[in-house]
Amino acid sequence: MRRAQLLIAILFLILGLAAPLVVRSDYLFQVLFRVFLFAALGLAWNLVGGYAGQLSLGHAAYFGAGAYGLAVFSKAGIHPWLALLLGVLLAVLFAALIGGVSFRLRGPYFTLATIAFAEVLRVAAKNLAAVTGGDVGLQVPGLFVKSSGRSLYLAAVLLTAVALCITAWVSRSKFGYYLMAIREDEDTALSVGVNATRCKLRALLISAALTALGGGLYGSLFLFIVPDQVLSIDISSEMAIVAMLGGAGTFLGPLIGSVILESAAELLKNIFHEAHLLIYGLLIVLVVLFLPEGIAGTLAHRLRRKSAIAAPPFKAPGPVSS
Amino acid sequence: MERFFSALQAILNGVLTGSLYALIGMGMALIFGVMRIVNFAHGAFMMVGMYVTYLLFQGAGLNPYFGFIGSAMFLFLLGYLFYRGLLKPIRGRSDFMQILLTLGFGLILTDGIQLLFGADYHQINLPLLGKNLRLGSQISLNAPWLISFGIALMLGALLYFFVMHTMLGRAARAIAQNRYAAPLMGINVDRVQALSFGIGVAAAGVAGGLLLPVFYLYPTVGDQFTLKAFVMVVLGGMGSIQGAAMAGLVLGVVENLTSLYWGNEWALAVDFVIFLSVLSLRPSGIFGSQRV
Amino acid sequence: MALLELNRVSKRFGGLLAVNQVSFSINEGVVAFIVGPNGAGKTTLFNLIAGVFHPDEGNIHFASKEISQLSPDRAVHLGIGRTFQIVRPLRNLSVLENTMLGAFLHTRSPAKAAEEAEKVLRFLQMGNAMHLPARGLSLPMLKRLEIARALATRPKLILLDEVVAGLSTSEALALAELLRRLPEWGISAVAGVEHVMQVVMRMADRVIVLDHGTMIGEGTPQEMVRKPEVIEAYLGSKYKELGL
Repeated sequence: MRRAQLLIAILFLILGLAAPLVVRSDYLFQVLFRVFLFAALGLAWNLVGGYAGQLSLGHAAYFGAGAYGLAVFSKAGIHPWLALLLGVLLAVLFAALIGGVSFRLRGPYFTLATIAFAEVLRVAAKNLAAVTGGDVGLQVPGLFVKSSGRSLYLAAVLLTAVALCITAWVSRSKFGYYLMAIREDEDTALSVGVNATRCKLRALLISAALTALGGGLYGSLFLFIVPDQVLSIDISSEMAIVAMLGGAGTFLGPLIGSVILESAAELLKNIFHEAHLLIYGLLIVLVVLFLPEGIAGTLAHRLRRKSAIAAPPFKAPGPVSS
Repeated sequence: MERFFSALQAILNGVLTGSLYALIGMGMALIFGVMRIVNFAHGAFMMVGMYVTYLLFQGAGLNPYFGFIGSAMFLFLLGYLFYRGLLKPIRGRSDFMQILLTLGFGLILTDGIQLLFGADYHQINLPLLGKNLRLGSQISLNAPWLISFGIALMLGALLYFFVMHTMLGRAARAIAQNRYAAPLMGINVDRVQALSFGIGVAAAGVAGGLLLPVFYLYPTVGDQFTLKAFVMVVLGGMGSIQGAAMAGLVLGVVENLTSLYWGNEWALAVDFVIFLSVLSLRPSGIFGSQRV
Repeated sequence: MALLELNRVSKRFGGLLAVNQVSFSINEGVVAFIVGPNGAGKTTLFNLIAGVFHPDEGNIHFASKEISQLSPDRAVHLGIGRTFQIVRPLRNLSVLENTMLGAFLHTRSPAKAAEEAEKVLRFLQMGNAMHLPARGLSLPMLKRLEIARALATRPKLILLDEVVAGLSTSEALALAELLRRLPEWGISAVAGVEHVMQVVMRMADRVIVLDHGTMIGEGTPQEMVRKPEVIEAYLGSKYKELGL
């Protein structure tokens, strides 16, 4: 991660914090909330899916755990913020369980297992009406009493900042190098002493905690949640798409991805109304076909190629005579 | 006695449902098990098959038990073109790219259908619908399900024969074993894969057509079948066509028993719990060994 | 004292006996070569020592500790480094980063790891290539990168699978010269080679000959090329005429 990237991230956050000075409309706050929320979620997914290369499509499980944790525990009389914390704990617990089973699987089986877990939770939430309200849904308490929309927006900016800090730390730490090694070749990683299972699990736990916080904020904004919304595969895939569009395994990727995807989705919804899912699908197909490394990834690639040309040609060493 | 008969009834119903699952699963076994393409649009393809059959019925008055042939042909073409146009360019990239691509394409199909025909539920009215075959005083089998079962059985056998005994099926399996040696044996990899993908998708289309008389029709009806299809392939053992068929029957029976004892809503969860248990305990599937 | 000791080690894959009752020991400060054609069981043997597989029979001791049931990452912590027969670089990372991964075994700090990695890379004469991505490297460089990554873990013993396969004679010689200097760093090496290349063999303190999973000879290079069974089973009669 270069200094320029860090500067861009900080600038982005400052703009985010300054936005309430200019923005007045509730609608715009909601859109901006989504941009920052999914930036944070994309960053969370990126730790596992981007850096460690474990392509989860089950992060809705943690998102839902955060949202439902907040709702269920506060219904039981616990203070909302404490309830949110318990929701995060719940998500971390799920992550330990899901990771324990799924990380032994590789490739598409891993992805399928993560989906299956999230689906089991979704079906369970639909049917355990006594706890979750079932299909009817459940009321979520507001985390902020005053000017809730704006406060939640700022909380989303803060969550993005936290996710960025964690990503910055990961990308330049031993832990981050180990995750990348696992992504590139797990057997090679083992051969230099990386405990792959433990590293992947640790990354997933952090990712799940961040995701659950995001889920809590989301629930608190809409004040009402249903299983088909917060536990759906759409949440999982949107997190992945945000990161992949911007560039999986890059520091700024999820940020870029969220800005583009969320603002595009909002525009599309306004212009095409019902067709926005179709356009969304089209967008996914186009990214896969033409931007497989994402926007940040493709840019970095271009720059690297340029600098490689500029560097003096490298000569392999000849035989040695010592 | 009462309880015995209700269980027996559930099991028989499960076999009937399962036969259609089996068709969907066998198509997926060809696509995912043999060709290793992670097809997340499988359920959407099936849904398109239902709509094609529905349109043939509404527009031309064609009975679904013939209309499914039109659905199969349409989906074969759609699958073939989808492979050629979109999947082929990204073969060799990571599985996740395939997942995203097929997921995206599934969204396009689902939302496209919704735009064209609306999100309403449809159902067709066949005179056959209320007819039952009674076995004794306690057991009765629904006529349209029975007919679907018969057709599914025949087509399933046909699909099995295709994969195991025709040149094209052999070529598809040869490619699965070694992508690089296959062309040296004179196999046109792209053609074989595109044809196989088309056939796998057509199987889902057939199942869609046969489901039409007994199922509600709406744009997202296919969603649950995508994951079920993966469950069947894993349960049946990667690449085993007959394993996926068996798994389809098992899934049908398990779901019906789950509905009977715990309620319909839990059926899907039970599917996935079985799936996760098999993945973590016996990754080669419960039917037969790992074969390609 | 023996650093590595194999005692009647066997490994079966289904019906195939890949390694059959193999016993040998390697002392500290030794460069040993395991010679055997493709399929002789070299890679399996390395995988057994590195903890990827576990022996069906027999046991393995390293630095007087039983390691037969160890996991690969634990084996590295004990001081067993390894390279792969088919090079497995982390393609999207730079040469330096690839090597740093090994160095992280002993430090948390990326700066320290980079320093350590640089030392190793200079020893292997790859200092110029440090910042290139691994995916663009030529095969000889990739072979060295494999070694660099393993060396950076500061092993007591390094297992080099097919260390010269695919290299020209001069490249192989250059690499073998470097390996010869490993004991100066306190590292013993066991290298697998497919053919008996004279130039390479002369670098070895010890040669172990495998044939179909069975050990058919062990000793100095000179002893081995004179041993009738070895010549018969494997070097062929033509080699006898050439002598050494």
